[in-house]
Amino acid sequence: MDKYDVIVIGGGHAGIEAADACSRFGVNTLLITHDKTKIGEMSCNPAIGGIGKSHLAKEVDALGGLMARATDKAGIHYRVLNSTKGQAVRATRVQTDRELYKNAIQNFLSSSANLTIKEGSVVDLDIDDSIIQSVITEKGERLFSNSVILTTGTFLGGVMHTGLEQSSGGRMGDPSSDKLAQKLRGLNLKVGRLKTGTPPRLNKYSIDWSLLSPQPGDTPTPLLSYTSLASERPEQLNCYMTRTNQTTHQVILNHLDESPMYSGVIEGVGPRYCPSIEDKVMRFSERDSHQIFAEPEGLNSDLIYPNGISTSLPLRAQEELIKSIKGFENAKIVRPGYAIEYDFFDPTGLKHSLETKTISGLFFAGQINGTTGYEEAAAQGIMAGINASLRATNQEAFELQRDEAYIGVLIDDLVSLGTKEPYRMFTSRAEYRLILREDNADMRLTEKGRKLGIVSDLLWKKYQDKRDATTQEILRLKKYKLNPNTPEAKKIKEQTGECISKNISLFEMLKRPKVLHSHLPQGKIPLALNAVDEIEASVKYEGYIKRQKIDIERLQRNENTPIPQHIDYEKVVGLSNEVKQKLSEARPGSLARASRLPGVTPAAISLLMIYLKKERQAVG
Amino acid sequence: MGKNRTIIAPATVPGRGGVSIIRMSGELSKSIAEGMCGELAEAWRFKRCSIKSRGGSKIDDGMVVFFKSPNSYTGDDVVEFHCHGNPTIVNLVVEEAVNRGAVVAEPGEFTKTAFLNEKIDLVQAESVADLINAQSKTAVVAANSSLSGQFSEQINWLLDGIVKARVVVEANIDFPEEEVDGSVLESVKEELQGFHAEINKLLSRVKEGVKLRDGYSVAIVGPPNAGKSSLLNLLAREDLAITSEVPGTTRDLVKTSVNVGGVLIEFVDTAGVRHNPEGPIEEEGIQRSKEAIKKSNLSLLVQDATSIQGFDVGLGDSLTVLNKSDLLEGEFSNEDNIFYLSCSTGEGVEELLRALILRLGIDEGEETVFLSRQRHEISLRSGGLFLEEAIMSLGEGQVLELVAESLRSSHAALGDIIRPMSADDLLGEIFSEFCIGK
Repeated sequence: MDKYDVIVIGGGHAGIEAADACSRFGVNTLLITHDKTKIGEMSCNPAIGGIGKSHLAKEVDALGGLMARATDKAGIHYRVLNSTKGQAVRATRVQTDRELYKNAIQNFLSSSANLTIKEGSVVDLDIDDSIIQSVITEKGERLFSNSVILTTGTFLGGVMHTGLEQSSGGRMGDPSSDKLAQKLRGLNLKVGRLKTGTPPRLNKYSIDWSLLSPQPGDTPTPLLSYTSLASERPEQLNCYMTRTNQTTHQVILNHLDESPMYSGVIEGVGPRYCPSIEDKVMRFSERDSHQIFAEPEGLNSDLIYPNGISTSLPLRAQEELIKSIKGFENAKIVRPGYAIEYDFFDPTGLKHSLETKTISGLFFAGQINGTTGYEEAAAQGIMAGINASLRATNQEAFELQRDEAYIGVLIDDLVSLGTKEPYRMFTSRAEYRLILREDNADMRLTEKGRKLGIVSDLLWKKYQDKRDATTQEILRLKKYKLNPNTPEAKKIKEQTGECISKNISLFEMLKRPKVLHSHLPQGKIPLALNAVDEIEASVKYEGYIKRQKIDIERLQRNENTPIPQHIDYEKVVGLSNEVKQKLSEARPGSLARASRLPGVTPAAISLLMIYLKKERQAVG
Repeated sequence: MGKNRTIIAPATVPGRGGVSIIRMSGELSKSIAEGMCGELAEAWRFKRCSIKSRGGSKIDDGMVVFFKSPNSYTGDDVVEFHCHGNPTIVNLVVEEAVNRGAVVAEPGEFTKTAFLNEKIDLVQAESVADLINAQSKTAVVAANSSLSGQFSEQINWLLDGIVKARVVVEANIDFPEEEVDGSVLESVKEELQGFHAEINKLLSRVKEGVKLRDGYSVAIVGPPNAGKSSLLNLLAREDLAITSEVPGTTRDLVKTSVNVGGVLIEFVDTAGVRHNPEGPIEEEGIQRSKEAIKKSNLSLLVQDATSIQGFDVGLGDSLTVLNKSDLLEGEFSNEDNIFYLSCSTGEGVEELLRALILRLGIDEGEETVFLSRQRHEISLRSGGLFLEEAIMSLGEGQVLELVAESLRSSHAALGDIIRPMSADDLLGEIFSEFCIGK
């Protein structure tokens, strides 16, 4: 009998991290996917990171995940965004080589212990007594497991639109999983429909590069993973930029009636932050130009991804549109842009562990939950993997709070509030933004990951070294006093303009906005760059961080007060019917989560608190 | 008893009686009280003291007593301040404790804490629930009524402005690769300074006792020269209305707000109403009086006790005041709805005010009105402080994320007053303002 501890369905970015986390955890895992060679495929633009997203990628890395390590093996253009706007919002964005990325992921997975990869298409799920029992493939094979993770992305009920033509599928050239979709629709889970799109891909040699402005990557070139080495990184390339113009906009207006969105064919909701070029021209008619980044798809690829002109106009109109753009006059469209509509499951039907509330052992991760982006998918994947493993070994679920990780913000937003558009991470979604930085994802998470048994010895050692160096250095900064009129003080004044009028510790000095760690007298042991970042942020932001910590502490009490899963809200005295209904539907796991539901007042929380206390007393 | 937040609220109705008791519960109680009153006596013993603000100035002389956990009302450490029964003093004591880390209690929070700490038994649990519900309802009504239309308009205006600033700042942070106009950021500082000034103006008006709310309104009506304006002046202890011996002097409405038992009541002095108005001006005044009566919760019909005249304007709910009682000879005493009073000696005014409070039904909601007003003031003040921090950060060339953090805090504080906003709402504003998305 084919029995596994965990079965992961889908080989996208969520499925990859889920399967890999299970394998590191040490449970017997099966990954089923349509096509092994497409594991790790980047179906939208080949880039990882960016604001909020790099934070997620680093958190996955700090928990031992694959994404950041694979990115560093495939990164051909690195930029640090927001470098002057503060450490918490600083974000690394990496342009990758599609092939290298896929190869890196497939190599990692092929060397994973406890992991079997199988080609196949799951057409049915066997559920008995609300517990998942097995999955059935198109060949009629029955594969058993009580922990199954679905990461089927946009493959559920996917419809692609190019102009007014439609075809069924999840990605150009791949069939959509209609049978599974039908099965899932019958499971009494709430289904919604979303939309997203991609631009046409262009042939590299048909573009006049001399007319585009080059965008070199940053030097020194950063790395995304805590454990990667610079030597793993491939050769670096430039990106290029051009713009749309009034002719482009006129072309779009002329063809608007052929756009499936504007002619009403598409009913799914698209993301507000990633509008099609049609949307941009219509909604911001005062702008006579929009920027386009011409991004290489890889070192040896002939394809260019023109980022900024996602469209679902018919091919003829796309050709006209491309030709109107500077540098693209003779550009050839290799693959037209398209919009895709797909089903997602309302994530409020999930627990914070990403297990469905109604079917034990069935986990959902990635785009199926209404998110967009590789990083968002990976973050859910690793968490679903951890929790499916924990379930398979009869252990309690692992959750991250909003003040611990962007992963925590992502999952809490999804399962508490749901989403109306493809959900993408932004730093403004995190109320504890100053604490959740790129530079300290390891400080926040690696120890937790190690306890779970999913952090490698290499990452653990790097983390310990950094942690110890940071503690040592902060002690030194507190002890070391600067005296006025010493050469050291003069040097600081020259560099920063900051005067020293009385004895002051380096620690206090570093609190001044203009003073950087590099301006101060250094210790004997040189510090790693990311340790310096960590020190600067924790010293400079001390006051703000303290303030946020007070907030967090206040919430903690409620966060730590669990609400039993089977509570009967009808019995809670004093709650209004509206609040009862909201709570019964959402079934929040803790008082804090209940308090974040819209419409649940502080008074309702008090009533709930009293009820819980009463129940406990009655039992005790 | 764990990390309860430290809560504070008056335990007696402010402004009533000679002594007000302010109760504070939570782990910071003792240290906050010691900061304000010096070292406390041993637990459960009163100590006479001066209650001082952080700057060292005296708020009041009173008594303070410390109840050590678990032998206290709530089961946590509790401190009670006993001070003079003056709403302003109560206000200042609460404010000072809040400055030092306490928070104004939510409806029913003391009782709830007592319950959670098992100071109240299981049987009472449901009555606690009822109490919380009842007090929350009153609090909602109170919170609404504690905001006058004008006040909430100004808060809304401030919020709009701060949201606009946040949209620019957050868009700059979350979408650095987009063409978010950098010059917009430069004007942000100037605008924020304007908002900050406005908050300070609002705060000083709140301090001066200008009402935050459209509270109770009482119309003073009656025949000419019965002493309506004198009554208003007596109530306000200020010469607001012009009084003279000539009947029909008050043609415009004169309004003044008087703090009665911690609640502001707006008294509206109207023109005297006669059967044969002399000329169009007075007629206009009479019309306004009728409207004032319609808009008010209660009317005071003022008559000259020495010469009572006919008055046939519809009054609704009303009390009759017989003025110039000092000129009366012989015995007289108040009846159900009739009060004898002398505006020149002030005799009888206390009884009238007590009756007013009863009649307006201020009694029940009073404490919560006081508290919600206090919360508004505190929110406004901390909103202002965070805004100041944002302006300073901008001035010092601090990194943008710190400016953003201060603005977020300021927005959250002001949003507490009327309309909280979620992170997703803010993103929505960003997307409608800027063309985002590659």
